[in-house]
This record gives sequence, structure tokens and C-alpha cells, in this order.
Amino acid sequence: MGKKRRGPTLEELLARPWCYYCERDFDDLKILISHQKAKHFKCERCGRRLNTAGGLSVHMSQVHKEQLSAVDNALPNRSSLEVEIFGMEGVPDDIIQTHNQRVVTQFHQAEAERQAQTGNPPAGSGVGGQPAKRPKLENVSDLKKRLAEHKAKKAEARTDGSSGEATPVGAGQTSTFGQSPTTATSNLQHTYPQPYGGAGSPYQQTASPVYQNFSPGGQSQFPPSAQFTPSGYSPQSFQGTPGQPMPAYGTPPPFPQQQQQQPTPQTQTPPQNPAFPQRSGSLPAAPGLPQRPAVGAPQVNAYQLQQMHMGHPAPATGTPTGVTNGDKPPGAENAPISSSVDDLISGAAKAADQAAAHVAPPKAAESTEEKPSKKDKSKQSRLVYSDNETSPEEKMARLSRYAFVPNPLGETVLEAQPPAAVTGAERGPDTVFDATD
Amino acid sequence: MASNQFILASPPTDAISALKFSPDPNSTRIAVSSWDKNVYIYELRDENGNVGEGKLIQKFEHRAPVLDVCFGATEDEIYTAGLDWDVRKIDVATSSQTVLSSHEAGVRSVVYSKEHQLVVSASWDSTLHVHRIDAPGSIPSIIPLPSKPFSMSLTATKLVIAMASRALHIYDLKALSLLTAQLDGTTPNKVEVEPWQRRESSLKFMTRCVACMPDDAGYASSSIEGRVAVEWFDPSAESQARKYAFKCHRQTADDVDVVYPVNTLSFHPVHGTFASGGGDGVVALWDGIAKRRIRQYQKYPSSVAAVDFSSNGKYLAIAVSPGFEDGKEDMVEGAVSIYVRELGETEAKGKGAK
Repeated sequence: MGKKRRGPTLEELLARPWCYYCERDFDDLKILISHQKAKHFKCERCGRRLNTAGGLSVHMSQVHKEQLSAVDNALPNRSSLEVEIFGMEGVPDDIIQTHNQRVVTQFHQAEAERQAQTGNPPAGSGVGGQPAKRPKLENVSDLKKRLAEHKAKKAEARTDGSSGEATPVGAGQTSTFGQSPTTATSNLQHTYPQPYGGAGSPYQQTASPVYQNFSPGGQSQFPPSAQFTPSGYSPQSFQGTPGQPMPAYGTPPPFPQQQQQQPTPQTQTPPQNPAFPQRSGSLPAAPGLPQRPAVGAPQVNAYQLQQMHMGHPAPATGTPTGVTNGDKPPGAENAPISSSVDDLISGAAKAADQAAAHVAPPKAAESTEEKPSKKDKSKQSRLVYSDNETSPEEKMARLSRYAFVPNPLGETVLEAQPPAAVTGAERGPDTVFDATD
Repeated sequence: MASNQFILASPPTDAISALKFSPDPNSTRIAVSSWDKNVYIYELRDENGNVGEGKLIQKFEHRAPVLDVCFGATEDEIYTAGLDWDVRKIDVATSSQTVLSSHEAGVRSVVYSKEHQLVVSASWDSTLHVHRIDAPGSIPSIIPLPSKPFSMSLTATKLVIAMASRALHIYDLKALSLLTAQLDGTTPNKVEVEPWQRRESSLKFMTRCVACMPDDAGYASSSIEGRVAVEWFDPSAESQARKYAFKCHRQTADDVDVVYPVNTLSFHPVHGTFASGGGDGVVALWDGIAKRRIRQYQKYPSSVAAVDFSSNGKYLAIAVSPGFEDGKEDMVEGAVSIYVRELGETEAKGKGAK
């Protein structure tokens, strides 16, 4: 009995025909062509299947007197009519290369994952005379990196299930396509509550202070999208906790409450085996990653950790910095169990302020840490408009040429004019008036 | 350009803030508000009733840029909101303007509820003003909001307000109406009204626009980060499980995904599909039920500020004007124009789930 096949080889994968418009691959060219005719070159008016986009365009204009603007069901950047595609013919070289590269990357990732799971040597290595140990000679950090990327991708795919994957066009067919900047951290979902400072983690139900008594409808149905990164928050909600969110990156997912004291040493000396299967899905599992130097968060001293885990008494090995907090207001101590949201917030803010005061150096390390984590993504994205607090209209309203100084004596209905209006009237005509005041 | 699309003559001279078709059946009247301080009324039909070039029939000057406009009980009655902090009622036939109320900051949006005879305005002073139109001269009720409102949309029964900090409130219009009727008479009525539902946006970034489904079942919202979410009002778990979001209005340039804000959404009154317009100048039609893109139109020369379907669903008006981008002090240069597309019988119809 011969060896069991473990799936297609790289060459077989590369040889598969695939569709330029949607990046799907097929068993053979005939199927690809019929796919294109059915999905991309079908006239939606009369159902006629044409051979090419050009043909469909001519058909639309001649038969239906309409102009085709884009190829149906295509990925957004592939919907152009300019490229004449038939089967695999006409696909631009650079796109072929990108595709091949992606196939190769995916193949290697799948292989690395299989090796990690089964411990088997890569396909063919036993036969080819190469010693089976060859993978071990391979750069270990490379392997770790790939594994981490793959896991990140998997975690991301999970996250996208709620928001990205439902794209009607099927734009999410390749996972490398269009990642949002936030998804880089999405695999850190366990740390989600951290931006709210110490108050958050084990008490997840209070994670959103504004909407604490939030109705049945919302986030609970939608757990993946409910987790988001600090960038998604308004500064009001987390500006008081500058020292908190970032250290969270380096720590393992919040531990069950009972273990809170214990993890301190673990954080700093994580298991070195990145392929440890049980830890799959959580990024901190690969702390040896070269491009995440700050991940181990060595600066997190016991006091900070204590802060992060909501101000429970420091362990016996507590550091001197913690001692200075002996006079800490009880509100901060009791914050998590306080029933009042306000107490919670102010307590967390206080704790965070204190933490920030103690932890100036780690903050510098955090900012450098952020960059490498962004690099982990295969594709960057750039927001054309990224101010999450001020709408474009408000910005426009601040431009001098749109400035408006309200006249309190105008035809207003309200009797009591706000003081702002009174002072506003005294401003010169050239004053830029901030309409959001 | 395709022959089934034309450009309106005499467009506004500055960026467009809102564009609305008259809700009257078969009407082809369009109201447009602009940063050039004017509200424009266009009519697509000429004297013979043929839809052609479209012409400007009236223009109303305001004291400051106008941020929103909506039609009232008839198409001769419009309501405007703008940076002069005022909410105005304009009678198109007599050109008379009445200030209904003044906010304490720019007024972002204004909507009219035919069913409840209410005009609701939302301002950056984080309040709603609810005006009872059936009781002229009455003092509006002021409802405080937790954050600055960015967009507002209503159905026959619900009012959806998207605000900063990803907050979203859904008010029951009937309750609002009853409440304001009760409180009428006293001086500035400040009322704390508990919304029917408080939600957190399912999008991670600032909400740009909300639009309600014509069948009163739910709404779509869009964010500055090229994403659209579709959700349902019904708080039951089954309905909430149906909600989803998808990416759109993105372009890949030099291996970087350039993500544009989705400025505007509008539902088709007949088919229940919706159009989205983005900062990339692209307008796309979506089937929110089948979760499919129906079509995407050729890129417009600059950012799409507003889209709206006519009440019979035969026309789609697209307001194109320069948008505000990151890293620029001022708005980017670009032409201001209004395109009107005549839609084919099935052009905006969903294809059905496959």
C-alpha cells in the first residue's frame, strides 16, 4: 500500500485554473469558463451568457440599449471592463504573479499548520533523500512567524464572520483582501475589556459604561463585532486610562478571577514552544516573535498588573511602587464591585491615572510596540477620513468661510439665549467660530 | 456617459449637504441644501411633463450653510436645518420662511414625520427638537442626547439617530408625539425621554449615515471606514442574529487598501434595496436581504455626498461634491454636480437569493 496522499502538491495547486474576477479556482478550464459565463458574463436582462465582458457590453448596448459599467460579481478592484478575459486568457501578468504568490503562501501556511498538528515531516521530504529533520534546520523564528500569522488570520476570519464575510460581493474570498486596521488586534479579543482600565476585565457585563443597561437587542448577539480596539473608542471613554490598554497586549488573556495573583511570573516567561496546540488562537502564544519585541511586557510590574486586575491587593512579592498606594482611595479598590457605573468609571480613571504616573517608561515602549503589530498584516489600509470623533461636516463648519455668528436678536423662538450666543455676537466677522462649542 | 443619466443645470456653487426627492407619488421635485447657504428646488419634468434636463425652479438663501433639508406635508413645504442654528419652515409657493426653533449649535439634520405631524431636528448641541406641526406656534420639546448626532432617519413608527461615540437611539414616534402633545404650553420643554432602544453601532468607526428600510423593519448604517451594517428593529434574538455588515467603497492602490467613508445611504421605496455613496465617488446598489451587490455605477468625478430615490423609484439622484479628507486643511477641489439616473424596470431590483 502506497503512502496516503495528504492533499495536492504545490505544483498541482499552481496549475489550477482560476477566475480573474473572483479569484476562485477550479478543477479544469471548462468549468472555469462556464463559471465565468454564468457569474460574470451573463446578461441580467435576458439571461444570455456571453463569452467575454466585452461581448456582454456590446450585447447590453445593442440589445438592451444600456451600458455595462462593471463586471457582475467581481471583486471590487477586478470589475473593470478594460481587461478582456476568457478563461485564463488575458489575465495580466502581475495579477497572475500575485495569485501564484498567494497560492504558495497559503500552501506553506497550510503545510506548516499540518506539521504543527501532526508532527509529520513535510510531504515528499522523506522520499527525496533529504533528512526528515530538515524542517528543524529551518529558521525557527520564520516558522513561528508564519504560524502566528496563520493563527492571526484564523482569528481574524472568525471575527470577520460578523462584519466582513457577509460582503455581498464575496469580496472576502481571499483572506488577504482588504483588512481593516483594527483587525490586526482582533485576535486579542480576550483583552477587549482592558481599555476601560482596571474596572473592566472580569466584569464584562459592565464593559460599556454608557450602555450598561443596554437593551436586549445589541451586542450580545454579535459578540465578535462587539470587541474592538482602543482606536474605536471615543477618547472620553478611555483617555483616563492611558497606561492600561497597551500593557494588555503583552499579558495573556484575562485569567479567571481566582488566579489573578498567580500569573505574574508566567507573563514574563511564557512557554517557548509556539506550536503548542492548546494555545492556538491567542496571539500571545508566540512571544518569541521577533517583530514583537515588547510583547512580553517585562515592564509590567506587580503593581501595574494589580491595577490591571482591578486593584486587588498585590501579592506578597509586591514591589515598592505598590506600597505608595497604601493611601489609595477606597473607591478605586472597590470599583469592580461597586454597583454604580459612575463609581466604576471614576474609580477606573483614578486607578489609571495613578498607574500612568508610575508607568511612564512602559508607555514609551507601548508606542513602539504598536508598529510591529501592524506590520503583521499582509496588507495595510488607509482611511481617507479617520477622525472618529468629529464629523467632516463639523470640520467644514469650522472653516472661516462658513463661519456663522448667531445673532441673539434674530427671529429666534427660544427666550433664554445661551451665553455662548451672547459672546458670539461680540466676535469680529473674521473670527473662526467653532460651531460645536 | 450612459444616455439614461443626465446632469441638472445650475447646480449649487459649493458642496452639497443633502438631497431629497419629494415624497409625493410620481413627483420629480428635488430639494438640495448646500454649503453655499442656499436651498435649491429642482424639477425634472418640463412643461410637457417630459423628464429632461431638469431645471432650477427656486432657491432660498439662508444666513449660513444649510446642512439638511426635508419635505413636509406637501411638496410645497420644506424644512431646513443649518449652521445658523435655526430650524426653518419654507413655503415654496410664497417663499416665506419661518424659524421653528433655534438650537445652541449647528443643526445637523431635520426630518418630517407625515404620520405623526412632527418635525424633528438634531443639532450638535446634543439635543433633538421635536416640533408639532399640527399646532403652529407651539414651543418645541427639547430632548437631550448623550452625544452629538450625525445622522437621522425615520419610518412611519420609528426614529433612528446615530451619534458620536457609536451611540444609536431608536425612538418610538408615537410615544414622542404623545409626550410632546402633553407637554405643550410651557416654556422650553426640556424632557428626558427614554428611547425605545439604545444600541451601540455595530460598526467600529464613526457612523456617517443611517437610513431606514421603507418596510419599517430595520435600518442600514454606514461608517467612515468603508463599511455598511444592516440591522433590524425587532429586538428578538432571531432578528438580531440576522444583522450583518460588509465592506465597500475601498480601493487598492500600491498594495494599500484605501478606505473611503460611506457618506450616504438611501433605500429604494419599492424594491427595498438600497444605494450607498462613498468618498470614492462610487454609487453601488445593494440587496440587503439577499446580501448581494446589484450593481455599481461608474465612478463619479468626486465624492458622493448624497443619494436619493424618487418616490416611485424610477429615478436615482446623486449629489457629487468634494469631500473632506484627512490631512487637508480644506476640502479637496472638485466639481459640484447633481446627476439623475433614470432606472430601468429591474435595475434596482434584487435578483433574489441564489
